[in-house]
Amino acid sequence: MMRNPQKIPLYAIVIVLVLFWLLPVWTTFLVSFKSSEDFLNQKFYQLPTRVSFIENLKNALEKYNLHKHFFNSFLYATVGAGIAIITASMAGFSIIRLRPKFNFLLFLIIYSGTLFPFQMYLIPVYKFFNTIALYDTRIGMILIYAAICIPFSLFVYRGFYTTIPKEIEDAAKIDGCGPLKTFIYIFLPQSIPPTAVVALFQWTWIWNDLLFGMVLTRSQEVRPIMVALASMSGYAGGTIPLIMTGVIFTSVPTIVLFVFLRRFFISGMVLSISGE
Amino acid sequence: MRKNGHVVSYLFILPAFLLVFVLLLIPMFQNIYYSFFEWDGLKKPVFIGLRNYTAFFSDENFLVSFRNTLIWVGFTLVFPVMGGLLIAIFVRGMVLERLFKSIFFIPLTISFVATGIIWTYMFSKELGVLNNLFHVFGINEKVSWLTNVPLNTFSLLIAWTWQQLGVNMVLFLMGLATLPQDPIEAAVIDGANKWQTFVHVTFPMLRPITTIVITMAMVNSFKAFDIIYVMTRGGPYRSSETLAVTMFRETFTLFRMGYGAAISVLLSIIVIAVSAIYIKRMARKELLYY
Repeated sequence: MMRNPQKIPLYAIVIVLVLFWLLPVWTTFLVSFKSSEDFLNQKFYQLPTRVSFIENLKNALEKYNLHKHFFNSFLYATVGAGIAIITASMAGFSIIRLRPKFNFLLFLIIYSGTLFPFQMYLIPVYKFFNTIALYDTRIGMILIYAAICIPFSLFVYRGFYTTIPKEIEDAAKIDGCGPLKTFIYIFLPQSIPPTAVVALFQWTWIWNDLLFGMVLTRSQEVRPIMVALASMSGYAGGTIPLIMTGVIFTSVPTIVLFVFLRRFFISGMVLSISGE
Repeated sequence: MRKNGHVVSYLFILPAFLLVFVLLLIPMFQNIYYSFFEWDGLKKPVFIGLRNYTAFFSDENFLVSFRNTLIWVGFTLVFPVMGGLLIAIFVRGMVLERLFKSIFFIPLTISFVATGIIWTYMFSKELGVLNNLFHVFGINEKVSWLTNVPLNTFSLLIAWTWQQLGVNMVLFLMGLATLPQDPIEAAVIDGANKWQTFVHVTFPMLRPITTIVITMAMVNSFKAFDIIYVMTRGGPYRSSETLAVTMFRETFTLFRMGYGAAISVLLSIIVIAVSAIYIKRMARKELLYY
């Protein structure tokens, strides 16, 4: 079966590494299935005496209100990425097809938003949100997430719209379509691939964000899921099964997205690194 | 008519521009401005010129954090990047290639916060998996992975490698898949062994993708925050902070806003400098296209 005996050491290395990569995954699931008694009394590799996942989940939700934060982040990720998708696709269309004066400069100005570490924005945005009463509000969170997502989204849409043949648009123009109609009826229907990439990346990014959530929110009603998850790690031994159940519960949406949109994940990575 | 069209075309750009301008660009300049002030966030800011920046050199906490940041970058280049390249080469053509790739890919589907929490458990002294695994193999020492300095920084980096290696592996695999096979075959015919072929033929041909991977990995390690914050909060005694964490602590825990702003400006300068090659390459492409 193995063509080349030289390869045996390589297989050994890779298999050891694969096991090391699986160890955290496997133990996380195992712990989340254990009751706290099992967890404290058993060896880490032993199977639970009874499956307590549902019970752990119930306790985790009750104790840490994870479902509320889950809803918050679901809202931020969906609306935030949605705003980014709408505004960035419109801007990309205009920059590439309507070509107003300074279109390239405008693109560069918006795109420069991806170059800086987020730390660069934290203090002024924190202060600004406090002044205009957006601190610790859902609207504030949606707006900052949308703003962060726009530059990369614009980059993707702009790149994609250069590939749509101009003839189609000219034909639309002859038929009397204005820019808005051309955008809605010609460009939007063809925009599914870039939209899938943008939605996957930006939804996941917002869902996973910790920094802005910590700085710009305070109350349980507004705090996103990752802030809630991070503050679960008060490590009294018996609560570890709850925490691990929390890890799984909060990771379900991104895992599902990756499983279903894996194809777009690869093309998104190519886009984000190659600049084409 | 033409003029009218122009107004419409700006209206299309306006919403995206406004959001980015108000929430990112103005704050960016404000942040630079704040970095010249001493300010606790409440009282009136006091202008102190460059003193926040000169204070770096005498601030013990900053120097530790800066050293840790460099360790993060160096370690990232060796383990997640070079490791990612080696694994990409190893798994290509293996019997279970697809399965192996998927396994290295798993950590990418969860957040840094989740990774941090999982590895906090792995490293936990009494109940953690690693110490108990050692016990199974007859090693009874209980290692303090996250509280022992400087081991804690390297423990964080193990978790970081676990999460990051997959991205680099995927990128290198993409690069390897697009390489032309002729030069490699020619080298083999000329009698080059595997190692020589790799060093003299394959690796040089991979250079474009290697540049991108290295740049991205360095930028990401300069920005690393979540894993450190979740696993150690930068502690104990601020021993495992990096610049991103130090900025957060100075600003939002100690309320030295001006100083925090200065750290974020420094961080930005470093990140932009590191990605300069990449930005230049992109800009050239854009201009060509334009």
